[in-house]
Amino acid sequence: MNRLRLSLTPAAFGYGLIWTFLIVFVLFPLTRIFYDAFTNEAGGFTLANFLEFFTDSFYLRSFWKSMVLGVVTVFTTSVIGIAVAFLIVRYDFPYRNLFSYLTMLPMILPPLVGVLGFVFILGRAGTLNVLLMDWFGLEHPVNFMYGMQGVLLVETVHLFPLMTMSILDALAKVDPSLEEAAQGVGAKGFRRFRDITLPLTTPGYVSGALLVFIWTFADFLTPLVLGVQDLLAPQAYLNIVQFVDRRIFRMGIVISALLVILAIVFVIAARQYVAIKDYSSLAYSKVERIQLGPVKRWLAVGFLGLLMLICFIPQVGVLLASVGRGWALTPFPEHYTLEFFRAVSIETPKFIINSLLFCGLALLMCLVIGVPMAWVMGRTRAPGRDTMDALTTLILAIPGTALGIAYVRAFNFPLPFIDIPLTGMWIILPLVLVVRRLPYTVRASLSSLQLVHQSMEEAAANVGATRLRTFWDITVPLIWKGIFVGALFSFITSLQEASATIFLTLGGWEMIPFGIFTFYIAGSQSQAAALGVILIVLCALCLYAVNRVAGTRVGGLFG
Amino acid sequence: MYRKFTILAAALFLLQAAGPGVAQAPIEEELNLITPVAKTLTDPTLADFAKYAKEKWNITVKTSALAAGTPVAYGQIVEWKGRPQVDIFWGGESALFDKLAEQNLLAKLTLPKDVIDAVPVSIGKPMPIPLKDPKGFWTGTVLEPYGLVYHPKVLARLGVPEPKDWDDLLNPKLKGHIAQCAPTRSSSSHATYEVILQRDGDDKGWEWIRHLGGNTGLFTARSRDVPSVVAKGEFAAGFAVPSYMAFEDRLAGFDIKFVAPKTAWITPEPIAVLAGARHPKAAMMFIEYLLSERGQRVAMERGVFPITPKYRVQGAPGSTAEMAVEFTGGMRSYFDREVTNIYEDDKAQKRYAEVNEKFRKEVESVIEDLKKKY
Repeated sequence: MNRLRLSLTPAAFGYGLIWTFLIVFVLFPLTRIFYDAFTNEAGGFTLANFLEFFTDSFYLRSFWKSMVLGVVTVFTTSVIGIAVAFLIVRYDFPYRNLFSYLTMLPMILPPLVGVLGFVFILGRAGTLNVLLMDWFGLEHPVNFMYGMQGVLLVETVHLFPLMTMSILDALAKVDPSLEEAAQGVGAKGFRRFRDITLPLTTPGYVSGALLVFIWTFADFLTPLVLGVQDLLAPQAYLNIVQFVDRRIFRMGIVISALLVILAIVFVIAARQYVAIKDYSSLAYSKVERIQLGPVKRWLAVGFLGLLMLICFIPQVGVLLASVGRGWALTPFPEHYTLEFFRAVSIETPKFIINSLLFCGLALLMCLVIGVPMAWVMGRTRAPGRDTMDALTTLILAIPGTALGIAYVRAFNFPLPFIDIPLTGMWIILPLVLVVRRLPYTVRASLSSLQLVHQSMEEAAANVGATRLRTFWDITVPLIWKGIFVGALFSFITSLQEASATIFLTLGGWEMIPFGIFTFYIAGSQSQAAALGVILIVLCALCLYAVNRVAGTRVGGLFG
Repeated sequence: MYRKFTILAAALFLLQAAGPGVAQAPIEEELNLITPVAKTLTDPTLADFAKYAKEKWNITVKTSALAAGTPVAYGQIVEWKGRPQVDIFWGGESALFDKLAEQNLLAKLTLPKDVIDAVPVSIGKPMPIPLKDPKGFWTGTVLEPYGLVYHPKVLARLGVPEPKDWDDLLNPKLKGHIAQCAPTRSSSSHATYEVILQRDGDDKGWEWIRHLGGNTGLFTARSRDVPSVVAKGEFAAGFAVPSYMAFEDRLAGFDIKFVAPKTAWITPEPIAVLAGARHPKAAMMFIEYLLSERGQRVAMERGVFPITPKYRVQGAPGSTAEMAVEFTGGMRSYFDREVTNIYEDDKAQKRYAEVNEKFRKEVESVIEDLKKKY
């Protein structure tokens, strides 16, 4: 077995650089918000902030409601996500490939756009309510959206694909011979599922569930649009964006610190569970798909079709709003125009340009940092690699809101020599994007690296190839697909990132999600919608590329 | 090769020598704002200012506006500690500008005397609203009332008459149909709640506020969302909305209406140059431009009123200026009439946090109970 020796080789130096990056851009900012959370205005250590949080009935209610929302969303996404995953991996029915692509699409609903789209169709003056009132004489509109029910709907539709993808990956790795063996000794149906399939897919499921939970937990835009302010993430956001009252401001930081602490606790708990139960083999197995009977196959199509119909409500709503002028209280817009698209692309191209530029840079940095990280974890015994592994999972779990706030607090001092703080330079945006999205590149590279047998690399080494040559000639061709998928995934999610960047964007650096946000808060919902449509199309194209290269096996990204 | 180098060096030297001349350019080539004023007012004024600079000095000014609610902008400026990343703070309450000036975070205005003298000292009785800083750190730019908005079609369906005064929002038929933004998040809402408290006194005032809470169907995250949701017809009426924000929705083709009750607070949208700004000359010129007839006219097209009696909102029939006049109830200038103001800013600023805290405890935290009670 190859070992990376820690002498001062270039490799060790590179490894040191990666660690420096992680320490400066992940650990340091996080320590800064913990410092803020545990000190008072005078800078002395105190627990008073947390005491205040846990004795304030409003904050406590926010806390519990956030927990409940997270759990319920995990439940709803599980039901839908598992059903979809099983259908797609195990059964054959018409349009199966199409559905395997379509069911990934809800994931690329940009922040804010999803909820706005839903409101356009299901709001109190949305298409559905208008039809009910105009045709059936309904007096008061049905409140589908404003409240927890609306938040749950938006999160479920947005996040079930994460669950599907995690399970797909796990399911595709389950060796069918195990299930056949179970069948052979008489375990059928539910029993076989419970004793064999379930435990084997649990690790994938747990990581998917963790991600859904934390995502819901950290999303502040959706609840805010729907008027739900008594949740943790909206409270953190609202308290921090008002600076006047320093006490409320500090409570915002305390809540962000709390979000990070909770994320760490959940990650540790999940890792304990997954570590114990990881029996799945590493290789993807060929799965024989079961042909569904004539009735069942159309039931499957019907179920998926109905699901897609609900999932595409936001896209339809956003599309209509982006071309409709003065659309209110009619089922569909009455005046159509392309002026909003022109306004956000030709007249002010900066949103699209900045997005592509910053996310492209982030993508490059993800590759430069992420692929070596995966290699260190998968192929070496370098000291600290377990910590690195844990850290990538943790990064995935840190709410973007908290990270953005941590950056504002930590990097707002003038740097030596240039005398400008990092927060005053645009490079901070690609940097925060790299940190947020690095885990996807690392995970995808790592999981494909694990599928390449080391004997191939060893064979190359035996005939005299250098380590670098081996890597380049043997390893890379075998794992490029995994790297490509991971990197593209980092890119897509960077394009959609808003929670961390909202706090860091200054004039001139606006990316598409920030543009959506500013248009929305300036009351120009149609411009926001037009930018949303552009973003959705960009991401859908990338996702199509992912789907073509990797099929449905893009799980393993989230472990 | 070597010769080329010398020529290059000489050229560079000449350029350097020309340096001081360049530095004496009338304004810098960049200007950045931080502002709670919506894009729909900042974008056209900045764009026209860039045009003006090009015409007057043949200088291309790159402008940008960082959108931030009043409290956020204020906090951000304090956080920058005199090393601001923008040049100008525009909009919000004048009291916050006074606070910034006390912390030495504002630069004194150096406007020509006739420009600043054209802005009256104050407007309104019995409580005068200051329109410029006697110490010279800030000046008002435009006048605009914080009123209420409604959607006539939604009201008609509910069988509710069009509201004229704040109290009309307490109509039981409007229960669940009102949108507002909490005073903790919105300065227009905070100011308007102060109007109610100073009109009715503490006990009755708070009872009124709780009652409105019981009628509220949506607490928005920002004040700008209030006219948006009403324009869309999602909610019937909205509380404490700056006139020009509602007017933008009207311009966007929505059927939204605005009314400023007699006691509505009028803001002068103060403006100031930040101490340590990197483009101080461009900043000062922008303010001068904004107070000029040209700047005032651009602003008037967006639904606000001139800060000086010298101009009145006026345009060709069918122009946006005329639409704005119709939208705000036929008024062309605040200096044409008696302005009533009962809002005392000192009083409001002294208990700013207290009112916010009380709102949080007695309205936001118990909103479900209030909905049952009223």
